[in-house]
Amino acid sequence: MTGVPYMMECRGVWKIYNEGRPHEVRALVDINIAVRKGSLTVLTGPSGSGKTTLVGIMGTIERPSRGRVYLEGREITGFSDVALSMIRRERTGLVFQNFNLLPGVPAWENVAYPLIPQGVREGERRRRAVELLSALGLAARVDHPPEELSGGEQQRVAIARALVNDPDMIILDEPTSNIDAGTALQVLEILKGLKREGKTLILSTHDSDLFGEADEIYRLKGGVLEGGG
Amino acid sequence: MKTLNLLLTAAANVMRQRLRTFVVIICLIVILLPFLTATAIQEGVKEQALLSVSEGADVYVTMDMYGRNGMIPVEMAGEIEKIEGVTKAVPRVISRIYIEGRLAVLLGLPLAELEEKVGFIKGSAPGEGETVIGRGLADALGLDVGGSIGLGVRVTAIVDHRPYIERRIYRISGIFDSAGIWTSDLVLVDIEDAISIYEMEGFVSDIAVYVRPGYERSVTEEIQKINSYFRIQTKALAERYMEQGFNRKGGVFVSLYVMALGLAIPTILVLSGFGLSERRREVGILKATGWQTQEVLEMVFFENIIIAVIGASLALLLSYIWVRVLNGLLIAQIFIAEVGNVAPFKVPALFTPMPFVLSFILALVLTMTGSIYSTWRTSIVPPAEAMR
Ligand SMILES: Nc1ncnc2c1ncn2[C@@H]1O[C@H](COP(=O)(O)OP(=O)(O)O)[C@@H](O)[C@H]1O
Ligand SMILES: [Mg+2]
Repeated sequence: MTGVPYMMECRGVWKIYNEGRPHEVRALVDINIAVRKGSLTVLTGPSGSGKTTLVGIMGTIERPSRGRVYLEGREITGFSDVALSMIRRERTGLVFQNFNLLPGVPAWENVAYPLIPQGVREGERRRRAVELLSALGLAARVDHPPEELSGGEQQRVAIARALVNDPDMIILDEPTSNIDAGTALQVLEILKGLKREGKTLILSTHDSDLFGEADEIYRLKGGVLEGGG
Repeated sequence: MKTLNLLLTAAANVMRQRLRTFVVIICLIVILLPFLTATAIQEGVKEQALLSVSEGADVYVTMDMYGRNGMIPVEMAGEIEKIEGVTKAVPRVISRIYIEGRLAVLLGLPLAELEEKVGFIKGSAPGEGETVIGRGLADALGLDVGGSIGLGVRVTAIVDHRPYIERRIYRISGIFDSAGIWTSDLVLVDIEDAISIYEMEGFVSDIAVYVRPGYERSVTEEIQKINSYFRIQTKALAERYMEQGFNRKGGVFVSLYVMALGLAIPTILVLSGFGLSERRREVGILKATGWQTQEVLEMVFFENIIIAVIGASLALLLSYIWVRVLNGLLIAQIFIAEVGNVAPFKVPALFTPMPFVLSFILALVLTMTGSIYSTWRTSIVPPAEAMR
């Protein structure tokens, strides 16, 4: 272990769904991962291998059944609901596989939603959201609700939302699986840009186009990590 | 600023989730409307009753007749008037009377007293052989000023087993114009006529005594001294009976209403769970993007306040329409005796702030129980679980 703490670290992490019940699922088995600051880490593996579960745990929206999770060397496994919400608010940006945008809410408001409880005024919220959406090529779509946007556009709205709190770690679950190849390339460019800005990126994918940019690739199979490097 | 943001977001959510908002508000109205309307009518009737008591005499004197209120000799009015502090003692005849199968109240007063009531009357005060009747009665019987009405019958003789009936016909000199609840079925005649209708020569139903302020006690005592069989009812006592009577009626309504609520509450709980799975997902999204549980709850709390305010205000508005435009259709009969589905007079109503505040609180409690707990449950589980 080096003196510089990792951005995110999992040690001996397990996730067992329905533990002790008939439908018990071992989604993650003894996972050890260390994510360096400013790196792009890729998690790959077939469907059902545990990618979503693992990025969920690293994004603090899921709790491990066993094992420890560290953020910048500090163990956060047992953190309270309030403390974990604080980490998500200040440190992390999450992009979900199915986008999880609020239906009926204009794109800019979706992007700015995380700023509401931070007391940011509507004018300022809109300004920041429009700026982000424009940078992602969605200037003409800021007032459209998700229902009126294509998959690729929704994906970029979701990315803008993940960036609105200026996080230093961005976690994306299969960012290119629900969009066409052309848009996927655009997303790749966005990710490269973020990496240049020094953000730590963690993404799950089975799209090998993304591997080229990766500093680290982890392969999952049946909840077991097959090896890093 | 944060609180304001949450409040504005709550307002936007209420608008965005139109269907849910609509359904919950309809439920609230269904629950609150009967309550607001009934209490308004009850308060209105009570107010009129108390008003009519306070406008009336200070003391009423009758005689004990085997434990009931009995007739009192008419000359006692003169005796009572001599007591110090008494300004006026008016003999009255008051009784129920059937007119063409319809129950009415007959009131006989001295001609001089009748003149004072002219203000309310369309036409003129009754002279001898004349009467003034209530608007409700006039409308029901198709009568108008100048028409005539038979009051009381009497058998004058029986010849060959057949009764000879004499019917007294009175000319209608006027109709009570104020469509008030107390005058609606009233038949007002000169006291002499009333006495002869009931064949109670020398007696009246009671004597209304008006007293100078401060003399109520001494006058009551003096009246009792004249005859220990006099029964004396003071205004204060009448007001108290009136209040109690209304509170009992109110109590009956409240218990019926509470039973109805017992049925309504599970309904609204089910309905506010309406759209809960979307809600669950949304709460998950908010938590995943850095909202605190407390902030989510605060926003939901504001949503409920907005919905409760809208629901209670709409219920109040509709209740106002029900009473003022629909004249308490179907509901007035609960509080006003002898009124059918449609009241023949303007149903009195008084909208006081208390029932409105109560219904707002009730609306809030209903919407809160439906949403706060489930929202809280959702927001304390890991967001990934809530979003699934
Ligand atoms: N909430 C859940 N309850 C039970 N099993 C689950 C749940 N979520 C995921 N799983 C199971 O856990 C395994 C890993 O799922 P997931 O992390 O979604 O994989 P991936 O994202 O790689 O497709 C799968 O077998 C899946 O069926
Ligand atoms: Mg997945």
